[in-house]
Amino acid sequence: MSERPDRATRRGFLSAFAGAAALAGLPPSSAAAQTTKASVEPFYGAHQAGIVTPVQTHAYFAAFDLTTAKRGEVAALLRDWSQSAARLTIGEPALGVGEGDYAAAPDATEMSGLDPARLTITFGFGTGLFEQDGRDRFGLKSLRPEAFVELPKFPGDQLAPARTGGDLLVQICADNPQVAFHAGRALAQRAYGVAALRWVQSGFVSNYGPGKTPRNLMGFKDGTANPRADSPQAMNEVVWAGAEAPVWMRGGSYVVVRRARMALEHWERTKVAFQEQTFGRDKLSGAPLGRKGEFDAVDLAAVDKDGNPIIPENSHVGLGRRATEAGHRILRRAFSYDDGANMIAERWPPWRQGMEFDAGLVFVCFQRDLRTGFIPIFEKMSRFDMLNQFVTNTGGGHWACPGGAREGDYIGRALLET
Amino acid sequence: MSFKAVLCNFAAVAAVTALSAGPASAESMLQGFKRLSTVASTIPNNGDLNPYAVFVAPAFSGVIQKGDVLVDNFNNGKNLQGTGASIVLVNPETRAMKLFAKLPQNLSQCPGGIGLSTAMAMLRSGWVIVGSTPSTDGTTATKGQGCLLVFDSNGKLATVWADAEINDPWGNMAVVDKGDSATLFISMSGFDVLSADIKDKKGESVTVRKATVMRLQLKIAPGAPPKVVNRTVVASGLAQRADKDVFLIGPTGLALIGSTLYVSDTADNRILAIPDALKRTTSAGAGRTVTHDGMLKRPLALVATPNGHLLTTNGKNGQIVEIDPADGKQLAARWVDTDQAQQPPGNGDLFGLALSPKGDAIYYVEDDTNMLAKVSK
Repeated sequence: MSERPDRATRRGFLSAFAGAAALAGLPPSSAAAQTTKASVEPFYGAHQAGIVTPVQTHAYFAAFDLTTAKRGEVAALLRDWSQSAARLTIGEPALGVGEGDYAAAPDATEMSGLDPARLTITFGFGTGLFEQDGRDRFGLKSLRPEAFVELPKFPGDQLAPARTGGDLLVQICADNPQVAFHAGRALAQRAYGVAALRWVQSGFVSNYGPGKTPRNLMGFKDGTANPRADSPQAMNEVVWAGAEAPVWMRGGSYVVVRRARMALEHWERTKVAFQEQTFGRDKLSGAPLGRKGEFDAVDLAAVDKDGNPIIPENSHVGLGRRATEAGHRILRRAFSYDDGANMIAERWPPWRQGMEFDAGLVFVCFQRDLRTGFIPIFEKMSRFDMLNQFVTNTGGGHWACPGGAREGDYIGRALLET
Repeated sequence: MSFKAVLCNFAAVAAVTALSAGPASAESMLQGFKRLSTVASTIPNNGDLNPYAVFVAPAFSGVIQKGDVLVDNFNNGKNLQGTGASIVLVNPETRAMKLFAKLPQNLSQCPGGIGLSTAMAMLRSGWVIVGSTPSTDGTTATKGQGCLLVFDSNGKLATVWADAEINDPWGNMAVVDKGDSATLFISMSGFDVLSADIKDKKGESVTVRKATVMRLQLKIAPGAPPKVVNRTVVASGLAQRADKDVFLIGPTGLALIGSTLYVSDTADNRILAIPDALKRTTSAGAGRTVTHDGMLKRPLALVATPNGHLLTTNGKNGQIVEIDPADGKQLAARWVDTDQAQQPPGNGDLFGLALSPKGDAIYYVEDDTNMLAKVSK
């Protein structure tokens, strides 16, 4: 893929909207995209957007397999994607495809009247970029970070190949699902001939108000124990790769995505008191069991009058807290998903079979090092978490998201142009 | 310590309720066993799930320490029933778990493949014998005849026993082990089982009364795998049926007290007695009913206690039930798996059962969380 002239200028784009508005008899102001400061999350910066950015209400994940054997084409794709992403996040259309079988002008008509809705686009590199079936496909094997290890097979994993892995990950988040999906389609279009879609997954999470922790589909608050994303110091410790990483990865982060199906029908037949034992938190307030407030300290040593722990050892919070105490930390940025219903054979007694919702959690976490983040945390949880009897991991993967790019640069250049 | 212990209040209430339901006996062993705790995860690295058999090692041999708890898995990592092919060893003191043996899914000597059942025992000579009740897709539609597998004490497969009389060895074994010889009782639950889709008038899959209990007389010469020198069917015509949810329902527990063999007749919800089981040369049919229904809710594994009682796990709730076989009284029930993810709590979670050598703990598996757990004094 070569660089192509940027045919769609911002002015041309906006005037096209104005024209459409005039045809529809609408005043221009109501039709033109109201790209306000509040609706734009900057694409360029020291770190990629979409990691510590306050979570948007919708997500669209797209994993791609590289079909090219040429590193130069991968570099050109990332350059193109970066420029397109930068444009999309300020309400401009992606770059146009100008040549070949798929020549087409960018069609952003569906975006007319919509603001960028805090769109962020985050790029990640899969292990396949460095090595595939023992082959150093792009001459990058020696640049694979030590921390970018393979994930072990965890107990209970039911990862479907068609929903798992991929050489490239694009995480798209926005406060509007159509904006997010549009960006996914635009970027997929830019990848024709170089990378092919492997799987996609949409997600959502509601905005419960400023400072409020969102709830997952089980009704519980999700992410209470997160480190503060607005604390640069905490993020340097937990999220951003530092001097230990190769230059191209510094300021980046390793992401793990897991598509976790919840047995919601099963869950909803259980008593709330039992659900609270399973999570280790009060369902309504989110407080650790035995405490009053959501952010009260989790006290694993607290016992009831019979000497039994108030927060069960194998509750989700019990295991999570122990992992934190052992120094294993991640930044969670999860979404819910709802993919209709299909035939499911439940994995636990009484092994119900039938049409059930295919819905659950798109678990997403970022960390500085997988070996001190997700892997040790999930090694324990996948064996002991009481939640396991309601959750099945069916897809996902892990990717290295490089550091951010300055304007005019692109994500991953320090790796791809080494 | 675990969530079970935390739900002890619930457990205690449930246990008391159950106790009052039966004629409480001061001699009930279960009454003293109140502390519930998890011992270890039973999931080996290959991801196998659904622990079934529990057997306490009677001797040091190979990689096995005396007192280790052997547990096998009935499901593979995809959680398909009848496909599990691993045995793990748990040290109950350190709570360490390690893989003891692992087989390929298909083994030419074992018709239908590998799906390790509750039929497992270790002999003092170190040999570990385990049954396979296999499927290829997790349903009885692909159920095979299975076999009996013999491992050495390093987990290496030594020999396989398979023929027309061995058909889905299923329930926990009763064992008389004299070192250089041994007697095993094994239930076979796979003869002409019909499809789980064929229903009777009650809407249940059709019961076929062809399950048997076989006595195997073994000779064990030094350095060689055990040899079967004699086989006798001591019970027959027992109920068995396929089940969409729990795969197979057939005689699942065997325990020997004196010369009487007790059988948990799971499908008919009762405990049977087979007289003169060590010496008889003919089948006693279904023998005599010791007790039925009451606190029994699809009884599974069966063990004898030091004071001559029987303990069985319930398939349809999380209780262990104690029975006095002398008069058939159901003495007590202890709700050991209180997982409210199932209703009644623990429904479908229990299977295998074993007593600790000192008699101070009862080990059991929890299929909901894939754990070895214990209830102790």
